[in-house]
Amino acid sequence: MNAIDPAIHIAAANIRLDGVSKSYGAVNIIPKLDVEFRAGEFTVVLGPSGCGKSTLMQMIAGLERVSGGKIVIGDREVQDLEPRERGCAMVFQNYALYPHMTVFNNIAYSLKIAGLTKPERQARVDVVAKMLGLTDYLGRKPGQLSGGQRQRVAIGRAIVREPAVLLFDEPLSNLDAQLRHDTRIELADLHKRIGATTVFVTHDQVEAMTLADRILILNKGEVEQYDTPKAIYHSPASIFVAKFIGSPPMNILPVIGDGSMLRLSDGQPVAECHLKGDFQLGIRPEDVLFDTAGNASALKAHVRYREDLGSHSILAADLSGNTVRITTPFGSQAPDRNALLLTCPTQKLHLFDGVTGKAIPSAFAATTKVMK
Amino acid sequence: MVENARSINIVATLILLIGIVYIVGPLYLTLTTASHSYEFMLQNGLTWSFGGDLLVNIKRIFTETSIPVQMINSLIVAIGDAVTTCVLSFLSAYAIVYFRVRWASVVFALILATVILPLDMRFVTTYQVASNVFSPLNAVLDVTGLNDLITSVFGAPFHAEWSILNTHVGLVVPLLAHGMGTFLFRQFFLTLPKDLFKAARMDGAGPIRFMFDILLPLSRTTFASLFVLSFLSGWTQYLWPLVASSTAEMQTAVVGLARLVPDEGAVPDYPLIMAGAILVSIVPLTMIALLQRYLVQGLVLSEK
Repeated sequence: MNAIDPAIHIAAANIRLDGVSKSYGAVNIIPKLDVEFRAGEFTVVLGPSGCGKSTLMQMIAGLERVSGGKIVIGDREVQDLEPRERGCAMVFQNYALYPHMTVFNNIAYSLKIAGLTKPERQARVDVVAKMLGLTDYLGRKPGQLSGGQRQRVAIGRAIVREPAVLLFDEPLSNLDAQLRHDTRIELADLHKRIGATTVFVTHDQVEAMTLADRILILNKGEVEQYDTPKAIYHSPASIFVAKFIGSPPMNILPVIGDGSMLRLSDGQPVAECHLKGDFQLGIRPEDVLFDTAGNASALKAHVRYREDLGSHSILAADLSGNTVRITTPFGSQAPDRNALLLTCPTQKLHLFDGVTGKAIPSAFAATTKVMK
Repeated sequence: MVENARSINIVATLILLIGIVYIVGPLYLTLTTASHSYEFMLQNGLTWSFGGDLLVNIKRIFTETSIPVQMINSLIVAIGDAVTTCVLSFLSAYAIVYFRVRWASVVFALILATVILPLDMRFVTTYQVASNVFSPLNAVLDVTGLNDLITSVFGAPFHAEWSILNTHVGLVVPLLAHGMGTFLFRQFFLTLPKDLFKAARMDGAGPIRFMFDILLPLSRTTFASLFVLSFLSGWTQYLWPLVASSTAEMQTAVVGLARLVPDEGAVPDYPLIMAGAILVSIVPLTMIALLQRYLVQGLVLSEK
């Protein structure tokens, strides 16, 4: 057993994209991207379909050529290298296992191409199979496995090569809800154990929030925000991010600043602010509170409908013509359905530029710094 | 329909019976005729009873006719057609499906167009080209005026001749020009997981390796289907081998069978011809019996 070291050794490398762009003919998928994925980190690339996230991943993997810019993995420029020379491995959305090969051969195929001897291959596959609980299935073909097992084979095939970079292309989207949850936990655990730099593409915000050390949010090929899940949730950089993360999404209301006060479109004052002009105000559903003390400054709204989800309820209220969603504990009754009084703590408010949609970070700061 | 199932069943069974008689009747007659002597047939005509001369007639096929040699020709044509069609179709479908070929859809449409332009429709042109493979090149050089240039440089116009008539190559090659196989493989490739090619690239397999390690083993059934279909069509070709081969040694068995009927008014030696027909049918019959599954698969696939 000790003749061949049975552990999986991965030397994680960082990935740097320098002005990477991609276009198909006249269609510009990714205009110009400068991002660094840190060594050993689990980065989730999140965005709606068509935002260029899969293209980005395929460019890192070497399956798509870049139209411009540089990709550096570790200290090597790789944008002109073949996929096998880049030290990346990839897990595909539909697994893309070789249907005619056994699980063993599926996992060992890259080792065979790399010219490893049979005992070496055997040893490496055994370790990976043990790690992923596939030991009993090595002789089976993919068609005889369940979805979750196929998923694990696909992961095994990727990590057996001890890649410096592990790429996941929406790997959980073909699994049912329960399995997706379990696999998510397994993936997080696996990342802790092997420590490869991981880039994970998804459009599922729950996967992003739970798995990521850092989330890169892409919109139309451009970075909207690149930060930790916590920072992205609590200080979204734009309306796009605010609406994309969180379920139900952040409430966005148009407001007008008159220099001292932000007012809703029907004139109700929301918060003190020194800014003038049209803005969008964001507040998370859980941050909207019922005013029971009868403050004069409370916002007047009325209930449209409520959805009971067991653990909590979502109340949809009409506030100055806009629908505001409020999460409340399950079973709690709104004080008065037709004359709902709401308060929004100022420190929980997010202000966005009315035109660009970008966040205005110090809008409610005590210092009266003049913006723009 | 459902409530009348019983009467429908009877009618359906009757129709099937008529169909069976229609198909099996002539086959039965072939067998009985082949078992009589020429003299018996001259006296009694075609009869429904068996005689005792079947082995004699089959022996006569081997001693008196070129059918055995011609069966080898048929085998060469059928296998040559089947193997080459499989290889070409596989490769062209591979290129069309897995590579970003410029105008791929146009190329595919042109390949498919050969299905509606069968050999029988381009018979005269095919014969012209087969009688001189270089004739298209010669024609192009003449029309574009390049030959005038060549004449002025080298003193004589370019003119090459190579006839493939009355050769095995000449019998096979014109049969290859149809796109059914490419279509068959393309349809099959499209049913495979679409990221397979990328996964293999990530594993370090180049296009050639992917073809041999992944695509080829997966395509076994499609290969078998196409092989059976092309083999049968190659074996039963009549018109082209009739025209393209001029000597008995180069003719195929089906053509040879037809040639057993004498040109002048004598009564043909039907027992001999029928014995030959039985012999010639044995090869495709065995093929169908053994590979029936793939034949059905191929027919179903090509109709999709």
